[in-house]
Amino acid sequence: MGIFELLEETALALWVGESLWGYPIMLSLHAVGLSIVVGIFTMLNLRILGLLKDIELSAFKSLYQISWAGLAINAISGFSLFSSQATYFVTSKPFLIKITAIILGVIVAIFLYRCLYLKDEDISEKKTIKDQSTRNLAVLSLLCWTTAIFSGRLVAYL
Amino acid sequence: MTEILIQLIEGSAINAWILSHGWLWPFSEILHFIGLSLLLGGMLIIDLRLMGFLRQMNIIATERLLPWASLGFLINFITGSLFFLGDPGRYVINIGFQIKMLLVLIAGLNALWFVIKVKPVIATWEPFSDTPLLAKVIGSVSLVAWLGVLLLGRLIPYVGTG
Repeated sequence: MGIFELLEETALALWVGESLWGYPIMLSLHAVGLSIVVGIFTMLNLRILGLLKDIELSAFKSLYQISWAGLAINAISGFSLFSSQATYFVTSKPFLIKITAIILGVIVAIFLYRCLYLKDEDISEKKTIKDQSTRNLAVLSLLCWTTAIFSGRLVAYL
Repeated sequence: MTEILIQLIEGSAINAWILSHGWLWPFSEILHFIGLSLLLGGMLIIDLRLMGFLRQMNIIATERLLPWASLGFLINFITGSLFFLGDPGRYVINIGFQIKMLLVLIAGLNALWFVIKVKPVIATWEPFSDTPLLAKVIGSVSLVAWLGVLLLGRLIPYVGTG
């Protein structure tokens, strides 16, 4: 038996897949986590690209902590949902695209954090972000999260 | 009453149009998720600041997030209306949908309360300080209501339709 078949036999997978509330509870939590992660990064990216100039970039340092909490909610709820139909999900193209987009999105988020807060020159105090690589990362971040939502929804259809 | 409404919608041209375009439903669902990200992203930051958190952020400037949150609401009002008009019988009797709409109404009235009580005086507040109790209440109600909207929305396919 492969690892994904084994996963489907775990207590977690059976609770999610067969109990009355397991699946809907995890799905609802997944929507909450999504809104926190994508919501915060969307606003951060718009700010970097110059559309919310009056909002202090330095405040997004705390918002990063909240987005990591949102990501944790979705890693847990997502893994629970995955476990219940693991053998199906690993063959679903939209699902694989979604996971790739999320991993890329997280990597981009870490690089963005470094660009904004960990460089010698603190650009988070600036009104306008002129640094092209930071702006490119913001565009890439928007693309990753949009792709994750797009392909995530299509998992149910394709 | 509700049965007449359902029949009226199901016999309408827009209902037929929605159902005859198979791609429209999943496409609208994707937009609905993008809309909720804009709405929740904007409101989460505004509400946390109203509650007294994120004090590095000028509270007066958080108003700039409102157009983005409103855009998210507009996208979701339009796509949500499509779902409702496409399958009214499913939503009208659904307890998850009913509570969700009640929470949207509460969030709306709460926003109105903000416009009446807070907006006229917010410019006189210290921009980087703690907030008055009224702001904390409004911010908390808003955040709980919107998160509730999200939870209930996702539960619609799973709760009572009888």
